[in-house]
Amino acid sequence: MIEVKNLTKYYGRDESRFKALDDVSVSIKDGEFVVILGASGSGKSTFLNVISGLETIDGGDVLYDGRSLSKMSEKELTRFRKDNTAYIFQQYYLLPHLNVDKNVRMGADLAGNRDYSAYIEAVGLKEKRKKFPSELSGGEQQRVAIARALAKNPKVLFLDEPTGALDEKTGRLVLDHIIKLQEKQKFTMIMVTHNANIAETADRIIEMNSGKIVKISENTGKKTAYEIGW
Amino acid sequence: MVVSIKDSLKLFGISIMTCCAVTVCNMFINYYIDLMSIKDLIDNPASKAFFDAQKMTATVVCSCAGGCLFATTVVMLFFYIKHYIDSHSKEIGILKALGYSDFRVARGFSVFGLSVFTGCVLGFAFSYILMPVFYNKQNEGDYMPDVPIRLHPALFIALVILPSLIFAAIAVFYACFKLNRPCINLLKEIENVKGKNRNGRDKETFVAEMRSSVLRSRKTLIFFIAFSSYCFSSMIQMSASMDELASEMMGLMILGIGIVLAFTTLYIAVTTVIRGNAKNIAMMRVFGYESGECKRAVLDGYRVSAYIGFALGSAYQYFLLKIMVEIVFADIEGVPEFNFDIPVFFVTLAVFIVVYEGIMAIYGRSMKAVDIKKIMSE
Repeated sequence: MIEVKNLTKYYGRDESRFKALDDVSVSIKDGEFVVILGASGSGKSTFLNVISGLETIDGGDVLYDGRSLSKMSEKELTRFRKDNTAYIFQQYYLLPHLNVDKNVRMGADLAGNRDYSAYIEAVGLKEKRKKFPSELSGGEQQRVAIARALAKNPKVLFLDEPTGALDEKTGRLVLDHIIKLQEKQKFTMIMVTHNANIAETADRIIEMNSGKIVKISENTGKKTAYEIGW
Repeated sequence: MVVSIKDSLKLFGISIMTCCAVTVCNMFINYYIDLMSIKDLIDNPASKAFFDAQKMTATVVCSCAGGCLFATTVVMLFFYIKHYIDSHSKEIGILKALGYSDFRVARGFSVFGLSVFTGCVLGFAFSYILMPVFYNKQNEGDYMPDVPIRLHPALFIALVILPSLIFAAIAVFYACFKLNRPCINLLKEIENVKGKNRNGRDKETFVAEMRSSVLRSRKTLIFFIAFSSYCFSSMIQMSASMDELASEMMGLMILGIGIVLAFTTLYIAVTTVIRGNAKNIAMMRVFGYESGECKRAVLDGYRVSAYIGFALGSAYQYFLLKIMVEIVFADIEGVPEFNFDIPVFFVTLAVFIVVYEGIMAIYGRSMKAVDIKKIMSE
């Protein structure tokens, strides 16, 4: 269970200081798939970075099963990330000098996961495990990033616009992979997107604007990646 | 123009390297030329033997120090140019897309000759400051008539102007060669991933895989780290022997040059490897790898080359001094016998271990400061 309580985040100093997150509170249940929806500058990525422990908290708190993120030292935060979270970025950020197999191993090693080839197979890249990132398409690179994140057996998976750099066909394929794996493995998944159509695949939609949550809605008509508009 | 004069100032490593090379070479060549002016005044066999030994010393030192530093400066220049092209590939790609030829873009790299010029001028001036003391020490036993110090303008051309022009030309041609890449690869910042270990044996852990990949991706840095420890080892051990073989001043000069070269190259190598892997380090930290593991992945692979460099430096200084004593100074009386100085070797090794491992530990801790947001802001 993730509890976000009165979360506040500032950027800049003195006159240029502005509130990126303004008194944000929300709870996310274990195994839930939540989408944070908002336009550019709404604070959705900041929210994701703060609750995942990548950014410091200026006010309020984030509790993971009662453990406070704001009270953790840098070392404890690293340990926390190691044991609990994984991240998928819009720009993939694969290690360019390592092949698919070894990129996935980056996540697998942290979980002591020796048999990580299943994750490569799950994203359909078994035949390309010896290829380097520069030899893959954007969609394939994002699938490697998914396998790398999941090979870590995370309790919570954070995704920042994972299909943002992909075309419709590849985007749907990648999204379908992610959703199916989440349904199978039941980890908590928090995805940031500006695309309202993608939000229709989630269990719950949190809408943000100007650093505040403006609406939280249960998604009763949950759709698959191939049923939504793009 | 992509490359500015300000960029050439960042090549302080080259300036330091050329400054050291020109200081040593100008001092010995100037001495050699002035020595030749008193050739007719030498009238006894002992003086003749000492005169010949001095000539030989100047030749050997200029060839060894000058040649070694010249070669290293070329490697460093290549390294800087490649690094510059890699880190400015987008801007260069835009220029190429607009129709600029490789040579036209590469012409801008001639400003890198300015770093060579700066180093050479400083070295040239510095050598003249040291020259009075150096001339006195070279003839401390009054074996020969006094050697007068003369300024030789031709040396300014040979040791300052010519190297600057040669290095500027090398920079342009090498840049031209490195720019010969598809424009789209430059624009999209697609690296030519070298050293692909497609079918290599799997390592025990991801950290070991990463370490091996970091080493393969920047082979020049292996040379720099080895060169750094080579300078440290050879110059410190050599300077310790100088008290007996030459003079305290020579010893201090060698020690100074050795330490400056060692720390400059180590600094350049380590900061480059950390900056070049900033994204990878940030990504490892996002995933939960601790800074110690990041250090093992990024820096520890260079340890072997550092210790090999140290061993080579020890051997080099021993054989160089052995040759000097047994061949160059063979006819001179009173030159002490030279043997490998085991205590000095172990003291130097101990200092090296403390300094090298200490610096690596400090840089390892600095990895905590690699901003995770760096990868998110792009």
